[in-house]
Order: sequence, then structure tokens, then C-alpha cells
Amino acid sequence: MARNRAQTTDYTGPLKRMLIGVLVLVLIGLFLLWRIDSPRVERFRAQVIDRVVPGFDWAMAPVTGAVNILRDFQSYQRIYQQNQELRRELQQMKAWKEAALQLEQENARLLDLNNVQLDPRLTFVTGVVLADSGSPFRQSVLINVGARDGIVDGWAAMDGLGLVGRISGVGDNTARVILLTDTSSRIPVTIQPSGQQALVIGDNTAAPPIDFIEAADQVRPGDRVMTSGDGEVFPAGLLIGQVAEDPGGRMRVRLAADYERLEFLRVLRNYGHERVTDPGSLIAPEGLPGSEVGDAETTAEGADG
Amino acid sequence: MAENPAYRLWTMRILYVVLGLTLIFLHLLPLDTLPRSWAGPDIMLALTFAWVLRRPEYVPPLLLAGMFLLADLMFHRPPGLWAALVLVAAETLRARYIGLRDLTFAVEWVSVASTLVVIMIVYRVVLTVLMVDQAPLGLSLMQLIMTMAVYPVVVVVSQTVFGVRKLAPGDIDALGGRT
Repeated sequence: MARNRAQTTDYTGPLKRMLIGVLVLVLIGLFLLWRIDSPRVERFRAQVIDRVVPGFDWAMAPVTGAVNILRDFQSYQRIYQQNQELRRELQQMKAWKEAALQLEQENARLLDLNNVQLDPRLTFVTGVVLADSGSPFRQSVLINVGARDGIVDGWAAMDGLGLVGRISGVGDNTARVILLTDTSSRIPVTIQPSGQQALVIGDNTAAPPIDFIEAADQVRPGDRVMTSGDGEVFPAGLLIGQVAEDPGGRMRVRLAADYERLEFLRVLRNYGHERVTDPGSLIAPEGLPGSEVGDAETTAEGADG
Repeated sequence: MAENPAYRLWTMRILYVVLGLTLIFLHLLPLDTLPRSWAGPDIMLALTFAWVLRRPEYVPPLLLAGMFLLADLMFHRPPGLWAALVLVAAETLRARYIGLRDLTFAVEWVSVASTLVVIMIVYRVVLTVLMVDQAPLGLSLMQLIMTMAVYPVVVVVSQTVFGVRKLAPGDIDALGGRT
């Protein structure tokens, strides 16, 4: 070490070494700041991404398209097989469609009978997937809607069918969606039809495990997994997927969303629900309305006189 | 080396930035949104180490720190830590540059590999101590081994395509001094 130092003194001057020291300190300081005050640094990250990624966008779309065409071309080789499979699936789907139509009519009738109001504020914004996380260790995508379109941290993102993830990090024109498969993703869920509460915990695999099930023996493979709305992050009742059992006997979710091709994502607008917090004041208001009216009349009379 | 050394120096620095941005761009393409069971090599890191050991003046610390900080931010990693470790590692290699210049490639490869192992261990230890969520160990190890394996390829490409080779005795380096 000492010999090397001696040899390189003419190459790295003390000023240069100081610069390196300062740089390392700044970087480590940034890391510690991130650890202590994560939201502020994440906002900075969102701004940087907001600046850089739309600049890449013009090149990204054609390259992604070209690669996808190449992949599709590979799948042409077994086009006959696929055709057969699709016909079989279509046959099954027709049966399901019939069942769904009947159920929809029945549901509409029942809703009408009960005069039910569904939550009208659950509308959505659709965004295009711009980029993925860029590393095999994190599962997230960037979409091209952001604060400009009214996106707020924590909203749910879905594809046409099922839940995909949660907004985390909003720039002006972009937002990051943490996928359910990311290691930092924890979603409170209800398993139907048994109604068990549980958590879906991302672990960087395609089928995240279900943990903290209340009574595990009531859960069967094939049960539907929906968001429960606990923790007031997501609206309740969004489809996540189906329960499946892995060879180790652990319950996992087979996700309903098509994670292989995430192109368009819907971000659900969710402004939370109004809550009744003080039950007592519903019956008797604090100020009696009669006295206020009387006061108002006397002051009015005084003004006239 | 007939051309103007200062001109070449700045061309190569710009080339480094362009290569780094291209690699980030390729990583960000939304092709695989399924979790992968394998991890590719960190080519940017191999490229940086290869250039630091050949022509340290092409990869000044400020540029290096900037590129890796940008990568940290873009790849959703804890910002700053990986960049700081890479900077320290590159500076250690840079300090050994003169000693390594005259030795064989095998020695260089071993020293790069050991540096990679050390920064990976420090990175994971720091993240564990500060209780940050981190990647599965298997994937990190795979990336480490892939990076080591790809290092000779990166060196060959740098030498043949970009002309980043070690200085022979008597060459004038880009800063104008005689080696």
C-alpha cells in the first residue's frame, strides 16, 4: 500500500484526493439522508426520473416494439398448436360468457331491488408503461401519467383484469408502480369464499406467497384473492388472483393480471371514504339551533331600531 | 497517437458517458416485467474498472460518481451507497494502476474480482445493518459471478473497438506527461 502511494503521488495530487473524499462523503451522506428522510429523497428521485425517462421515450418505444416483434416471430413457429389451444379456450369461454351474462342480469335485478348505490367515485386514469425498474432485484414499472394527471402516492394500479401494484413515487409526468411481486410490497387481502383475512407479500417470484392467514385450513387452492381495503390504502374488492399451493405446501397467489405484457395500466382514483368518528354528536348537536335563531332575530331588530 | 491528446481525452470521456447512458437505457426497456430467476452482469461496472485500469484519465472520479448516482436513482436502488462503494473501489484500483500495468491479465482479473467481492459484501452488510429491504442473496451472487465472467470480454471490446489499451513505455498520456 505504502509503495503504491509513493509511486502515484505525482499522478494524484492532494487536491484530487480531497475531491474524492468529498465525493464519497456526499454520496454516503445522500444515502444516510435517504435512510433517515426517505420521502424527501424519493421525491428528488422522482424528479430526476421525470427529467430523464421521457427523454429516452422516443427511442424506447421503437426498440421495445422491435424486440417484441422478434419474440412474436418466434412464436409463429408453433402457430398451429396455438390455434388449436385458442379454439379450445374459446369454446370454454363461450360457456363462461353465457354464465356471466346471466349472473350480470341477476345481479342488476338484485341491485335494483335493494336500491344499492355503488361507490361512484372509483374512476381511473390509464397510463402507458414507459420503463421497468432496470434491475433484476426490484419489480416496478414507470408509467407516463403523474402529478399533472392528478396521480397521488398509494393509489392502486390495475391492468384490465387484476391488481398490478401501488403508486410509489410521483413525478410531474411519470409515476412509479411498485408491483405486487416486489420484495417491499405488502397487501392486505380477503380470500373468498371463506372470508379469511391475510397479507400478500412480494418476494421477487412470479407468484407471491400469502401469509398471516387466520385459519389456513379454510383456504383451498382456487379460492379468489381480493383486496380487503384494510389499512385504507386500496379500495376493497379489487381482484388480485387465485390461491395456488406450491410444492412446499405454501399458499401463493396466481396473479390475475398479465405480468408478462404490462403495456397499459389503469390507476384507480381513490380519495378514501368519509368516516363517522363521533357517534354521540349525531343525536344532539352542541349548540341548540333555537337559541341561535333567537339571537339573530334580536340583533336584526336592534339594527332596525 | 497522432491526434491531439486533449481532444482524444474529452472524446473518450464523452464516449464513457454515452456508453453508460446506453446501458441504463437498455436496462430500462420494459421487456421483462415478470420477476426473473437470473441476473445479468453489471456491464457498466466491468467497463468502468477496465477503463480505470487502462486509462485512468478517461474516467475521472466526478464523472464516475455522477454516472453511478444516476444509475442508482434510475434503477430504484438506495441512492448513493452503491455509487460511493464503486467510487472507492475504482480509486483503490486507480492507485494500483501503475503496479498492475506491467503484470499479466490474470493478476488484473483477480484483483478486479476481489474488489467486486469486497464491495458486494460491504454493500450487503451496510444494507443489513440499516435494515433496508434487499435483493435475494442468490441473485446478487449470480450477478457478481456474471460480472467477473464478462470482465475479459469487456476488456477485449474496449481494446479493439474503443482503443482503450494500456500505455506502452514512452507513450505520452492524455495529460501530456511521459509515463
